[in-house]
Amino acid sequence: MTLSLSVPDILVARAKTGNLEALEALYRAFETPVYNLARRICRTPEDAEDVLQETFLEVVKSIGQYRGEGHLWGWVRQIAASKALMRLRAEKLRATDELIDEAAGAPPPSVAAGIDLERALEQLSAMSRAVVWLHDVEGFTHEEIAERMGRTVSFSKSQLARAHARLRRLLSPAVAGS
Amino acid sequence: MHCTIEDLVALRDGEGSVWARRHVEECAECQAERERLYQRVAQLKALPALRPSRDRWHAIRDTVVAERSRKRQRWMRSGLAVAAAVAGLMIVRPMLQKPVLADDLAKAKLQSAQLETVLRDYDSDSRVMSGREADLTAQLEDQIASLDGRLAQFGDSGFGDAQLVDLWRQRVDLMQQLMQVHVTRAKYVGL
Repeated sequence: MTLSLSVPDILVARAKTGNLEALEALYRAFETPVYNLARRICRTPEDAEDVLQETFLEVVKSIGQYRGEGHLWGWVRQIAASKALMRLRAEKLRATDELIDEAAGAPPPSVAAGIDLERALEQLSAMSRAVVWLHDVEGFTHEEIAERMGRTVSFSKSQLARAHARLRRLLSPAVAGS
Repeated sequence: MHCTIEDLVALRDGEGSVWARRHVEECAECQAERERLYQRVAQLKALPALRPSRDRWHAIRDTVVAERSRKRQRWMRSGLAVAAAVAGLMIVRPMLQKPVLADDLAKAKLQSAQLETVLRDYDSDSRVMSGREADLTAQLEDQIASLDGRLAQFGDSGFGDAQLVDLWRQRVDLMQQLMQVHVTRAKYVGL
């Protein structure tokens, strides 16, 4: 995923005054990366779109607090991740996660035939998928993930290891079977 | 014994144990597994970006505009409440103050009338005064005449006005000074 996420300072300054055109320009700049992040964490595209909307409403509300320290995308990404994880927690998916992980021992027949990484990601539990995406792709630390999930750093680390273990099995059925 | 996936992930993040680090350096199998881990992460990062099927900006803009409108209405309601309170004060305060002013005015007028009676009875015109006393008396009487002119401009329309009360008080003060001139003179000359 290669996107240009640089935003002119003048645009940020105008957005801070509440200018709707500037805010829309920010939305257009970050719409895809925010949705992409949300979609990797949420179960459905509709949920991810809701997170996209909630994230930008928060951006509009709080843009005045952005001090220009660090890249604006980093600030928006923190909001997006928090919103997505909040939704995940609200849906109480942890119980479902347990069931999914228990069934993760042997890949289904279609998996044995080989699936791509995209589909393998979908096979992960919501928590594992969120952790692997936030840590390995978005660059969040285990501390940041744990804080946003309301869990411990150990939990985040174990979820990451489980995610990789499962991805490995899903992507290399021959290795998993040996 | 080989490294677990936890060991390899920890090594990648710079947190692996000494044993795991040494083992990977010597074990081709674990090196291959570590390479697969790196490849997997690289592939994750290279996944094409997923894009929303619907444009949510209009919904966001509508929400923002509605919220701003609600805030404006709240401000307007607050502003109207403040304006009403100020207007109420402007109406009620004079009503509360008027009786006080009217009393003060009546009191000043009464004092002025009493002093005027005393001065008339004293009949200063027929008495002998020094040049200085005569000059001082003339000055005070001029000031009283000037005040009377201003009071005549107010007429009845200014009733209850604080400025009117102030003018009458000034008149009383001047008449008291005039009275004092005569009293002092009488004391010294024994008249």
